[in-house]
Amino acid sequence: MSWRHLLAVARKETYHILRDRSTFILVLLAPTLLLLLMAYALTVDIERVPFAALDHDRSPISRSFIQGIAAGKDLDFYGYVGSLEEIEALLVRGEIKAALIMAPDFSRRLLSLEGMPLQIIIDGTEPESGAFAVDHVGWRAEQFLRDQLSAQLQAMGIPLDTLQPVDLRVRAWFNPGLEPRVDLIPGLISMVLGFPALSVALALAHEREHGTLEQLMATPIGRAELLLGKMAPYILVGMANVIFMPVLARAWFDVPFHGNFALFFLLSIFFLFAVLSMGVIIGVFMRTQAAALALSLLLIFFPGFFLTGIFFPIAAMPEVMRLEALGLPGTHYAIITRGMFLTGVGLEVLWPYAVMLIVLGLAFTGVAALFFRKRLA
Amino acid sequence: MRSALRRIASLVIKEFIHLRRDWWLPAFMLLGGALELVLVGWATSRPMTNLPLMVLDRDRSATSRAFVVDLGNTGTFRAPEWVDDQAEIEAALLRGEINAAVILPRGFAEQVHSASGRPVVAVLLNGAESLPATAARRAIEGVARSWGDRIAVERVGLDSQQLESFFPSLRVWFNESLSEALYTTPAELGLMLEFTVLIFAALSISRERELGTLEQLLVMPFSSLEIIIGKAIPAMLIGFTDFLLMLGMVNMVFGVPVRGSLALLLILALGYVLVELSKGLAISVFARSQHQAFLLVMMVGMADFMFTGYAVPVETMPLILQKAANLVPAHHWLAILRGILLKASGIDVLWPHAAALVGLGLVIGGASLRYVRRALN
Repeated sequence: MSWRHLLAVARKETYHILRDRSTFILVLLAPTLLLLLMAYALTVDIERVPFAALDHDRSPISRSFIQGIAAGKDLDFYGYVGSLEEIEALLVRGEIKAALIMAPDFSRRLLSLEGMPLQIIIDGTEPESGAFAVDHVGWRAEQFLRDQLSAQLQAMGIPLDTLQPVDLRVRAWFNPGLEPRVDLIPGLISMVLGFPALSVALALAHEREHGTLEQLMATPIGRAELLLGKMAPYILVGMANVIFMPVLARAWFDVPFHGNFALFFLLSIFFLFAVLSMGVIIGVFMRTQAAALALSLLLIFFPGFFLTGIFFPIAAMPEVMRLEALGLPGTHYAIITRGMFLTGVGLEVLWPYAVMLIVLGLAFTGVAALFFRKRLA
Repeated sequence: MRSALRRIASLVIKEFIHLRRDWWLPAFMLLGGALELVLVGWATSRPMTNLPLMVLDRDRSATSRAFVVDLGNTGTFRAPEWVDDQAEIEAALLRGEINAAVILPRGFAEQVHSASGRPVVAVLLNGAESLPATAARRAIEGVARSWGDRIAVERVGLDSQQLESFFPSLRVWFNESLSEALYTTPAELGLMLEFTVLIFAALSISRERELGTLEQLLVMPFSSLEIIIGKAIPAMLIGFTDFLLMLGMVNMVFGVPVRGSLALLLILALGYVLVELSKGLAISVFARSQHQAFLLVMMVGMADFMFTGYAVPVETMPLILQKAANLVPAHHWLAILRGILLKASGIDVLWPHAAALVGLGLVIGGASLRYVRRALN
């Protein structure tokens, strides 16, 4: 392998990318822009869940209960309704996501300590907002119960604490509010950084489609030189994004970065090498850009999203999928990004994943070189 | 008119000859999309199970063991790992090996059985993976609550039914068993459909231009409108077939019902495919190469993704995003899809979304047609 040849190919490829200014800007900015879009799409906070109330009791107590809930900012009071049919119509139209029904004896039973006849109806087609409503109504109901009944309970000699005796003290490390934003954004970095791999697959298929690959092969440039030279500019594009993205995560989304940036940068290069090799295999194998694109989506994009443990923990996957996940560079890199951003660990914890990235990268490049010879012969 | 139809037909046939030669793209579009949907649906619609858990039991009593057994019975965790030291838990959290740890204090049993003790249960969660951590927290809270209720009942001498009557009762509509598949898979179907149609349409013209065959088409006796229609018909056929295939798939594999009118769903699906198609053709003309077209599709698709209500329903988003959502065809389409599939909604309920879809279709389609025609001329 000669460095001169490799550099010549890299220079040619860089020239190709730079010549087409608008494509270059897109390729360069795609990972960071996609991170921004996906972070917004997946971590928009539930702000105000609209609910309606059906009050059969119509007493001052039931009204003050609803007023208490409506005053908060988490649940948005749509208004009182007169019947169950009205609730159904509103739920079907999606104008409310939850409804509260108070029985005719709501205040009577509450005051006589018999119970709190309250029903919550939620829209099961959107369980996220439903669970939100249930949590928040439950919490308010408990508060309300305490306020209304504390005097009475004490008069009966029942301390309030006895009603909820187990004292659960929950602490979440690394992300105290358990906000999805904080860990999904580092995870998503491993996914969007796969985009240069799609670009390299397209670039190789482009040479194929236009018949310029044969011309290149007629020159004294070797296979490995050609493949690595093709990859080089896209690794540079990826490296630029490795700098953009933590800045974006910190400045825009307020995600901390506790690790060592130099180490992160180095491990990111390992990842880029591994994932770009996957792109090279696809580019070598497919004859047209459309086909390369289709296969890249199937092998890099979708698995990178769903099988790398960003959303669904690897530990909870079935055995077969767990094995497949181990073969994806993104799985190991997602552990590295989360470790670097949130736990701030170093190589002492992350070395197995770094080794896996190198192994996968070498294996994929080897396969690509092998394919390359066969396809051209 | 007759000859125009014949010319369009010959263009359509030409497109299909292309497709047959480059069969990877349609194969991916039809089978890959449906297959991917099953994989993704399967991976995302399972409850979180098998999460690694550590237990530090300082009490070592029958009572504390019973508490841990109850944690195991939630089905959320795998068999817990027992440790003797909090340092072990902290090390495992740093290495990211566990999602949660529970610490039971010395004297746990004594507190539980005493008249007014409050046993403290400490929970440590790994916030670097917030989604499994949240699932773990819910499971542990559930166990703590049921223990609390049991203890309270014993102490106060209430019977358990009486206590129960203080908690709001919950009813879930449209998805009684709160099956995750019923709400995630329709959204994933909608997303796959959008990407399929956009990519297919976006590659159609950009590819001819890149390969230099667009000039050939333009010098032939086809009007620009005929070229557009000729390009649109195969894309529409593929998109619509893809929709039917995916609908059948989610119905058979995940049991997603079609509770409303299938005919209405198909008509509106056709309309939606047309809208996305005109977006795709506009991108196709705007992009200089297939590579650019692809990257633009990813951006547009991801921006729409936010408004499909996949992660969070649009009605619960900040107000400004709710307003913006009205301009996104995918938002109306998802509302229609969920409404017809799960809520048995008819056109009487869905007409605002259908009207918005038609209106947006006319605006986007008209603008796209003008733009594409001008570019072709």
